[in-house]
Amino acid sequence: MKNKTVIFILLIILLLVAFIGDLFTGNAPISPGEAWVALFGTSGDTIIDEIIRNYRLPKAITAVIAGSALSLSGLLMQTLFRNPLAGPDVLGVSAGAGLGVALLTMLSGTAVYPFIAAMGSMAQIVAAIAGAAAVLILILGVSARIKDSITILVLGMIFGYVASALVTILQSFSDPDSLKVFVTWTFGSLGGVTWNKMPLLLMLVSVGIMLACFLQKTLNSLLLGENYAMSTGLNIKRARVFIIAIAAIITGAVTAFTGPIAFVGVVIPHFARAFFGTVNHKTILPATLLLGSILLLTCDIVSQIPVAGRTLPINAVTAVFGAPMIVWIVLKRKKL
Amino acid sequence: MPLRKNKLLLLFLLCAVLFLAWNCRSGQHQDNREDEAKPLSSVVIQYAKGFKIDHFAHYTRVILHNPWSNTNESYAVYYLYRDSSTLLPTNGTKLKIPLSSLTVNTFSYLAFLDLLDEQGAITGVTDGFRIYHPGILQKLRTGEITDLGDPFHPNVEKTLALKPQAVISSAYAQRDNYSERLIDAGFPIIYSLEWMENSPLARAEWIKMIAAFFDKEATADSIFTEIEHRYLQLQEKIKNVSTQYTVMTGDNFQGTWYVPGGKSFNAILFRDAQLDYLFKNNRESGSIGLDIESVLTRFGKADYWFGCEADTYAELADKDAKYLLLESVKKRQVFNNHNRVTPSGGNDYFESAVANPDLLLSDLVKAAYPEILPHYSFTYIKPLEELSAREK
Repeated sequence: MKNKTVIFILLIILLLVAFIGDLFTGNAPISPGEAWVALFGTSGDTIIDEIIRNYRLPKAITAVIAGSALSLSGLLMQTLFRNPLAGPDVLGVSAGAGLGVALLTMLSGTAVYPFIAAMGSMAQIVAAIAGAAAVLILILGVSARIKDSITILVLGMIFGYVASALVTILQSFSDPDSLKVFVTWTFGSLGGVTWNKMPLLLMLVSVGIMLACFLQKTLNSLLLGENYAMSTGLNIKRARVFIIAIAAIITGAVTAFTGPIAFVGVVIPHFARAFFGTVNHKTILPATLLLGSILLLTCDIVSQIPVAGRTLPINAVTAVFGAPMIVWIVLKRKKL
Repeated sequence: MPLRKNKLLLLFLLCAVLFLAWNCRSGQHQDNREDEAKPLSSVVIQYAKGFKIDHFAHYTRVILHNPWSNTNESYAVYYLYRDSSTLLPTNGTKLKIPLSSLTVNTFSYLAFLDLLDEQGAITGVTDGFRIYHPGILQKLRTGEITDLGDPFHPNVEKTLALKPQAVISSAYAQRDNYSERLIDAGFPIIYSLEWMENSPLARAEWIKMIAAFFDKEATADSIFTEIEHRYLQLQEKIKNVSTQYTVMTGDNFQGTWYVPGGKSFNAILFRDAQLDYLFKNNRESGSIGLDIESVLTRFGKADYWFGCEADTYAELADKDAKYLLLESVKKRQVFNNHNRVTPSGGNDYFESAVANPDLLLSDLVKAAYPEILPHYSFTYIKPLEELSAREK
């Protein structure tokens, strides 16, 4: 127990270091000293203030939110479906968000334009949330009627495939410029969340995280199998709907604001379990939140390293950078 | 019980959507009705439909029309002033002119700025490796100009660090995070909308728009008049050509062949060059995706093929033997747009052609009716060679 507390304290310190590290790295030539001054006072240079306070700070906070939310969503899915490959995207929610954005991008030049234009850059978020919500409602409708969790998993994947197929159809009809706008969204970006969008993201995700914290016991009993869980008096259908809803809402919200971010959600729960050597959600749920934030912050720092003069898309960095870490864990522990 | 939970969740979602709606009330589209004052004079614009420049006693107003809106809404309104004490209307972007530093996220403006001799004002560009302009490439190498990365997702920090007086950025039907963030930070965006114009002269006329920001309206006017004069003169020369050749254009891109619609820039350019484009009566202004079979059946008999992606006939045959069935290939009348390219992928066709519609037209005329322009040599297009230089 004492050992765990020490690890948690270390992780929190690591999170703070990664957070500050993220604030100090970027493409503008700003020294850590200048950044520090801009953060807590005024550097006298409005541009440095602007970059640190209104660009890097919300970006770092977004990394923390997105990293923890996606990892938590992955953990919920892995526990519910008792499948090590499950992740935030297995319910098709991210694909639904993608479909929403694709529809918006392809329709933006048509009759619905005034409506879209009135929303400004919020339009993309609204479209993504609408797409994710549509899939979520479908999934919830299905999961309230089906007994078997694996069937839900399969249906979720199918919804995801259908949404992706619709995106492909839309893409084949669109002109090259709209296509590029959409493809850019699929790269993922932590920098798109401005202060005025932050409250909404924070609200959607923090509600999900808080609810999930109340579910620790339920999740633990699910680990032992649905039959056992039922014998402990758990209303399995209700629990399932609840877990799916939380996972889908936080995934949908994060995807809407940042675009798809792969890998984090699948990998971090394994990382947390390996790190603490337990499957008890009381430990690995907070561990997942912390590790997810740390990984995404680190990935954001890595993505700032210019390659051929430009920064890398975060969606690619998470996988490229995260994969070796996992391979290392697998080799070290001989199992996930 | 699950149903009740579902309802709760739906309620939660509904709340989220309402919150969103409340959040987005701050639409940014300006309404220019507020400013009722009559302009003292207006810049004469003959071809372009997308902008308007009016002079008032102490300032100039530039309005960009919204090409996606059916109502008479503007996309952006700029008030250009010379003296900081000038009182300005409240409904637009205010800019002190002439500008002396700006970043350019769209290639076509590199040529406009070059013609206006304001290239020195450029401090940042996007996609530097795809630029053709030797002067700008040189400045990129020496670091005088910064490469801001992908034009669809330029680097925010680098842009802010340059502290440009304005940023020229392509406008799309959706507002993007990049421009919103720059506006929030107090950097004005000059939207590039010339690409929504369909006629070659209309696109070139946008030089007048950007010239207003440099206080060079008279220069722009005389430059454009010359371009227009050369364009119309050439049109006059070919008015009575004996045969109207048929043309096809575009190329196969991963299974889809994009051809321009009948109301598009290319269709109008073909019409002006006295070339017969099969889709001339089509009503689309964008591009139409076709598969190779429809291209073979519909355009198989076309005399000329412009905008091929290959450099040699050998390469064409290598890519797909079906290309050899095209009449234009059999007649060896195929042209690509690779006359002015750099090894890293820069192509002047995507850069300066907008500002030089007369040269675009001359290229087509030279290809189809060489006797009319005996001393002209191709600017942007190039006939395909039999074999690549390596194989010869």
